[in-house]
Amino acid sequence: MSALSTSTATRLIRTEFRLTFRDPLVLTFVLVFPIVTMLIIGGSFGTTPDPSFEGVNPSHWYVASYLTVVVAATGLVMMPVHLASYRERGVLRRFAVAGFPRWSFAIAQLVIGIVTIVVAGVLLLLVAAPVYGIPAVHDVWRVVAGLTLGAIGFVSIGVLLGTLLPSARAAQAVGLLLFFPSFLLGAGGPPPQVMGSALRAVSDFLPLTWVTTSIRQPWLGIGTPTGTLVEVAALAVVATVVAVRRSAL
Amino acid sequence: MANTDTEAVVTVRGLHKRYGDRTVVNGLDLDVHAGEVLGLIGANGAGKTTTVECIQGLRRPDSGVLRVLGCDPVRDAERLRPMLGSQLQDSALPDRLRVGEAIELFATDRAHNGDDLLAQFGLIERRKAAFASMSGGERQRLFLVLALLNRPRLVILDELTQGLDPAARRDVWAAVAQLRDAGTTVLLVTHELDEAEVLCGRVVAMRSGRVLDQGPPADLISRHAPWAMIRFAWSRPGVDDLLADLRPLPGVQVVATTPGRVEVRGTRQSIAYVGAELVKRGAVPDDLSVELPDLESALLHLLDEPDTPVEFGRSRNIAKTGPTDHALAGANR
Repeated sequence: MSALSTSTATRLIRTEFRLTFRDPLVLTFVLVFPIVTMLIIGGSFGTTPDPSFEGVNPSHWYVASYLTVVVAATGLVMMPVHLASYRERGVLRRFAVAGFPRWSFAIAQLVIGIVTIVVAGVLLLLVAAPVYGIPAVHDVWRVVAGLTLGAIGFVSIGVLLGTLLPSARAAQAVGLLLFFPSFLLGAGGPPPQVMGSALRAVSDFLPLTWVTTSIRQPWLGIGTPTGTLVEVAALAVVATVVAVRRSAL
Repeated sequence: MANTDTEAVVTVRGLHKRYGDRTVVNGLDLDVHAGEVLGLIGANGAGKTTTVECIQGLRRPDSGVLRVLGCDPVRDAERLRPMLGSQLQDSALPDRLRVGEAIELFATDRAHNGDDLLAQFGLIERRKAAFASMSGGERQRLFLVLALLNRPRLVILDELTQGLDPAARRDVWAAVAQLRDAGTTVLLVTHELDEAEVLCGRVVAMRSGRVLDQGPPADLISRHAPWAMIRFAWSRPGVDDLLADLRPLPGVQVVATTPGRVEVRGTRQSIAYVGAELVKRGAVPDDLSVELPDLESALLHLLDEPDTPVEFGRSRNIAKTGPTDHALAGANR
């Protein structure tokens, strides 16, 4: 990796960072949507610990769940639409012919995806703090591990979708189709304990449910789901390897 | 204008490229010399863009030998691409990227001063404009700026003026003329033949992925459309005598009349003989006009010919070939 290439990656990351936070889709769907829905859902079930919410304060249960809504919005909607739009309009070919190495764009997307998740997550918590309070984190390292691996996995899924889908419209359609069931059954909807068996089975199958569980349980002190964390780690590794192989400019 | 030297910047031999069952480039040979503006011309689907994509290393040839600035475009892509300045057909920049940010993004350590280039191409006032807000002509000029930014040794421009209005096309042509006059080596891909005629020192005409002929535009015109059309009004008596005197003149091929007008088609030399005949009669018409075919006429005529490539460096003897309907249509414009 030459110094020139390193500088190329730096320039790409800087530019992509600017563009990401000028994108209305990012501003509305990744930054605003999770906050608004968290405020609505988090205030719908009160603050009294409830067996349906694994015996914890429902508002805190949702605050601990909603970081993964940001992860899903970034990985399933923002990244695929962004990349498919670049491919559709020939932006990636322009980067390629200008001498940007293939890996530099993949690295830039990974960095931007992670940064977006961090920024949107911090905003979410800043809004949640005065309204519902931030629940104490029982196992910081497990939470950080779940969030990091989940973010890498979903950003990689986003890159993969962006390289597979033919247009920005197709990416938006498929992304939303994947996002809303994941959102409702895997993070921001009803807790698994109140779902019917069929919905529960679907929920257990969703990657976002794995990520949410691997964060929420150690955060709220209601479990140490090592098996789920391993699933998330496997998701991150497989999705990243496939995305890197597919991310041809 | 800078002189073209003989150093080959691009050498292509026996290039073949297929997409599925369709052969797009079929044994193409091509040379681009240092300091020249070479036009790759032909109808849509002739294989022009695929050829330059192979030269840029964006596509892997099925067979053939390519050397671009001493590099194999696929194997040495990372070394080659910084030496190329490319404007691609059907490509864009992110909508919200501003002009100044685009310069920042694409500029390497050896880049020109971006502001100087923006000023040179009339974009300095648009430095803060988002790409989406720019007109077609401004976008193409920005692509030119980006193509030149890193002091490339070869500039590749693919359908540079596609979709532009006439004023914007003229702006872009002026920008390319600046490159030509500065001695930059340019490979210009176009199906706009007036563009090739104005900008290129040499053109290569392609059909079905092969070279049909190549040379300076004037040479292609004289080889493939070597005729002229002379028109004038004639209201005097004795038109039949005039026609009878014009028909045997050297180079005259067709003499025709419509009420009050005479049209003479023939070789370029026939212009002099027809003019002399009119002078001899003491009747030089006020509206005498001569129309010469352009590169488009020549290419249309060339495309009407059997699908046999012309050997490099050899011209066809078509002096006795009359103008076809296409060519006459071109000459009549």
